[in-house]
Amino acid sequence: MIFITGPMFSGKHDVAKQLLHCSDAELADRCAFEVQELAADCADLEALAEKLSRFEAVTASEVGGGVVPLDPDEREARERAGRLACLLAEGADTVVRVFCGIPRFLKGEWK
Amino acid sequence: MTVLVCGGAASGKSSRAEELLCKLSGDAPRVYLATMRPFGAEAAARIEKHRAQRAGRSFDTVECYVNLSSAPVPPDCAVLLEDIGNLCANELFDVEGSGDGAADAILRGVDTLQRRCRVLVIVSNEVSSGGADYAGDTLRYLRVLGEVNRRLAALSDAVCEVVCGITDYYKGEGPG
Repeated sequence: MIFITGPMFSGKHDVAKQLLHCSDAELADRCAFEVQELAADCADLEALAEKLSRFEAVTASEVGGGVVPLDPDEREARERAGRLACLLAEGADTVVRVFCGIPRFLKGEWK
Repeated sequence: MTVLVCGGAASGKSSRAEELLCKLSGDAPRVYLATMRPFGAEAAARIEKHRAQRAGRSFDTVECYVNLSSAPVPPDCAVLLEDIGNLCANELFDVEGSGDGAADAILRGVDTLQRRCRVLVIVSNEVSSGGADYAGDTLRYLRVLGEVNRRLAALSDAVCEVVCGITDYYKGEGPG
């Protein structure tokens, strides 16, 4: 699995297409998008990471780089999103961080 | 040797920083220098999580919430200072903190630690990538923490960002 992270709207979707050499339509079946949203209400992050790892690619927006939210639920959601990203990166063959549309390989390499 | 480890919330920075300290410390005694005040259930849970993470790695814990220069750290040890985000808030906003002198107080403390210990791994926080619509004390905090991070990076031998548990070096390199 290729794990693709980076800020919102940084170009993760396009990088996923390039890395899987496929169209938008094909990508929808092969890639799970913006999975940080699934983390907030998830009781078992390891099971979720395991399930997501069956996709060829997974994208997640980085959400932990801002001021600590005042709302406890928002704080918890952010913590869970971060933990999910760590789990996904640990299990991934390739980890890519996208900056202004440019992929930077943190683990593995371009294939 | 001094290494600055920076990252966002739940980026895995604590785990990586601990591993780094264990690799670098050799036979030096390991000290965990904690800066977060243990107030409330959430802080207690966080402290417990970090304690469990460090279990088996034989760290002595020293607590220091303000005035880092005075932290009772033994000489020639390897220190994991965690974290600058909390220390900065304490210095800025606590009654016994340094207020406008927060950044200088932290840097003075780090200088003292560098002279005293063999290895220093500093954990700091990325909090300025989540929008710019802040004012008052929050903006002041972001500005001071940004300044502290830049000054710490300048005096560190290596600087890395942790992203989803992976260290990405901007200065120097890791111990491999």
